[in-house]
Amino acid sequence: MSAADHDNAAERSVAPRPAGGAGADAPRRCYLDYAAATPMAPEAVSAMLPYLSERFENPSAPYAAARAVRADLEDARARLAHAIGARADNVTLTAGATEANNLAFAAAEGTVVTIATEHESTLACARAREHKIVGVGTDGRVSPADVADALDDGVGLVSVGLANGEIGCIQPVREIARVVAAERERRLEAGITRPIYLHTDASQAAGHVSVNVSSLGCDLMTLSAAKVYGPKQVGLLWAADGVELRPLVRGGGQEHGVRSGTENVAGAVAFAVALELAEAARGVESRRLAALRDDLERRLLREFPWARVTGPRARKLRLPGLLHVSFPGLEARRLVIGLERLGVSVGTGSACAASRMRVSHVLEALGVPEEVAAGSLRITLGRPTTEADVDYAASCICRVVREEMVRLGIGGPATGEK
Amino acid sequence: MGKRVYLGMSGGVDSALSAALLLEQGYDVHAVYMRNWSRDLPGFKCTWADDLADAERVCVTLGIDLAVWDCEREYKETVVDYLVDAYARGYTPNPDVMCNQTVKFGTFAERAFAEGADFVATGHYARRTTDDAGAAHLLRAADEHKDQTYFLWRVAADTFARTIFPVGDIASKAEVRRMCAERGLGVERKPDSDGICFIGPVGIRTFLLDTLERRAGDVVEWETGRVLGRHDGAFLFTVGQRKGLNLGGGPARYVVSTDVEKNVVYVTADRDCPALWCTSMELSDARWIGGAERAAELEGRDLLVRTRHTGELAPARVTVLDDADAAPASRVRIDFAEPRRTVAPGQSAVVYDGLECLGGGIIERSSGDGAR
Repeated sequence: MSAADHDNAAERSVAPRPAGGAGADAPRRCYLDYAAATPMAPEAVSAMLPYLSERFENPSAPYAAARAVRADLEDARARLAHAIGARADNVTLTAGATEANNLAFAAAEGTVVTIATEHESTLACARAREHKIVGVGTDGRVSPADVADALDDGVGLVSVGLANGEIGCIQPVREIARVVAAERERRLEAGITRPIYLHTDASQAAGHVSVNVSSLGCDLMTLSAAKVYGPKQVGLLWAADGVELRPLVRGGGQEHGVRSGTENVAGAVAFAVALELAEAARGVESRRLAALRDDLERRLLREFPWARVTGPRARKLRLPGLLHVSFPGLEARRLVIGLERLGVSVGTGSACAASRMRVSHVLEALGVPEEVAAGSLRITLGRPTTEADVDYAASCICRVVREEMVRLGIGGPATGEK
Repeated sequence: MGKRVYLGMSGGVDSALSAALLLEQGYDVHAVYMRNWSRDLPGFKCTWADDLADAERVCVTLGIDLAVWDCEREYKETVVDYLVDAYARGYTPNPDVMCNQTVKFGTFAERAFAEGADFVATGHYARRTTDDAGAAHLLRAADEHKDQTYFLWRVAADTFARTIFPVGDIASKAEVRRMCAERGLGVERKPDSDGICFIGPVGIRTFLLDTLERRAGDVVEWETGRVLGRHDGAFLFTVGQRKGLNLGGGPARYVVSTDVEKNVVYVTADRDCPALWCTSMELSDARWIGGAERAAELEGRDLLVRTRHTGELAPARVTVLDDADAAPASRVRIDFAEPRRTVAPGQSAVVYDGLECLGGGIIERSSGDGAR
């Protein structure tokens, strides 16, 4: 099955839709939180189903049926590797991106350097050992020079996510790879033997920007199936030749002894299909999403010129489907509830932070004032999102924001009532 | 704009309906979520973030503001620490009673009044009336099965005088849920909360063992003094307890009493064991809603006493005990008309005159030959 066959808009309708002919009162469902979770592509669902029933054999078993399953697993691995421009034997399958990040950190010795806006799974790994946290600019991007300044003889790993899932900025991973390569050369000359690796968590970037490992120049890369319309609890860690992974889960020695436990063949197969689809559709889909996102952004800013969009201004430095917008003085939690009542699901930042009533560590790192941060929505569009969805969402957001302003008695500078 | 009411919102059904009713009655409602202490331990399900989200949902639906007040310090100091300390001393305390006194009708009410509230309100099942002299009286709720006055006896009358219990007059919880659904509040299916909010399903034992040290001791048969087995800390056991006694078979045995100093748990297989019955109880730290001076008027009158939330209202009389060291009328004896099951020290005994809750005290000891 060629992934290109599916590169058309007709395949997009996998999003939850209201049951046909819903009554006038039943709000339509408009899911705009694709950075949190994506619905599985139908192709990925049908690809995985046989492995849940008739092709259930353990890939490590000796008979022909099991060896066929093993072959399918390895085929999936090869396809995943191909999609990221890598060799199959450098790909370790994991139960999701969090595990892959943990595995990447376990591969390095010494101090780790990461940036303040990373996902919790990276920051938590860093905090568990000697670490340095590099700050970011007001657009969320880290400067490669700041990363270079953080390097010393003791650093064994630099970890920078390719795209930030909360504000959507794309990090200069390639430039940081050059910094790390220069450090490697310096160590060679100075006779320092400690290796230094560059890890990038590309979970949020896949399907939107290139995740080709050689063009990124990293040594380790994390991907998640759950963010590319594949199943949850499936991910991978790619490691360059010469990077020795150390197991966190011990047992029967699967995945070259790096990750024991009977392989999730169904998950791997679905991941391969999902990633191929995402890669094949990437160019067209990115442009489509960026246009929809820009439209939404324009409409919200036209209505509320005092609202604030966070993230880089340049289109190529932003995830195409992501809009992070703050309504200073309003409470995002209330906006989310108001939108939920209209059937619109949006996020307020990374789900973990949002549930704890803490200002997001990402916005804190950018120096966003608390009263601005507290009014922040993260809206992420995805493959099933249509123009009509954006229309509906824009009008709902305008309505809910205006209602809150009325309740709070905020006139709001230049808010023309429609 | 009507009178200003500060309403404690928990995210539950009762306070949600309270908010709606107060608004319908024309009050200027300020909803407040009190964030209490939570313990970060595996297995401890601290649902406050979910509860806050539910409270917020209700407030957005009703179009009112929800403030979040951090009561973590007060809760930790006056409820959690009190709980642990009381268990360590061999008592079985009632943290909800303390929470009402120090947090809900303490910190919360004080701050609300300081911010200009005319009234405070909560979703408690209780009723308040005011007599001709302007004094507040606390009455049991219309729904006797949900009545929560047992937890309110330590709250002062002058606080009650400015308290509204919007659901106290409603006939049943089912009616409360129906009224919530009618108003589209979205919480009507939430289960009733019970137990100590910050402990959740893991139970008091796991919580105590996280704070207090295990200490091996004997389980002794009350009648014979025979050692029947071992336990891992007398503070973990409470009077009347049947489960958790690891005696390896034999008849069901009940805890008669515990001695935390000697670290002994006394048990019996006889449900009619005299030590499980009493005719009187001594209370300490008693509080009287109408003030200590009112306690003397109660002496010799036929009253009702409850020793458990929604438990039986047992006919009894109250006698104020002389104690120069204690606050006036803070030590009393309860004499029951009929023998009663003994109650673990630390629990509350709450005194009623008909529907009215007069006050109560902390049970120190149960005594009297209750054998029947």
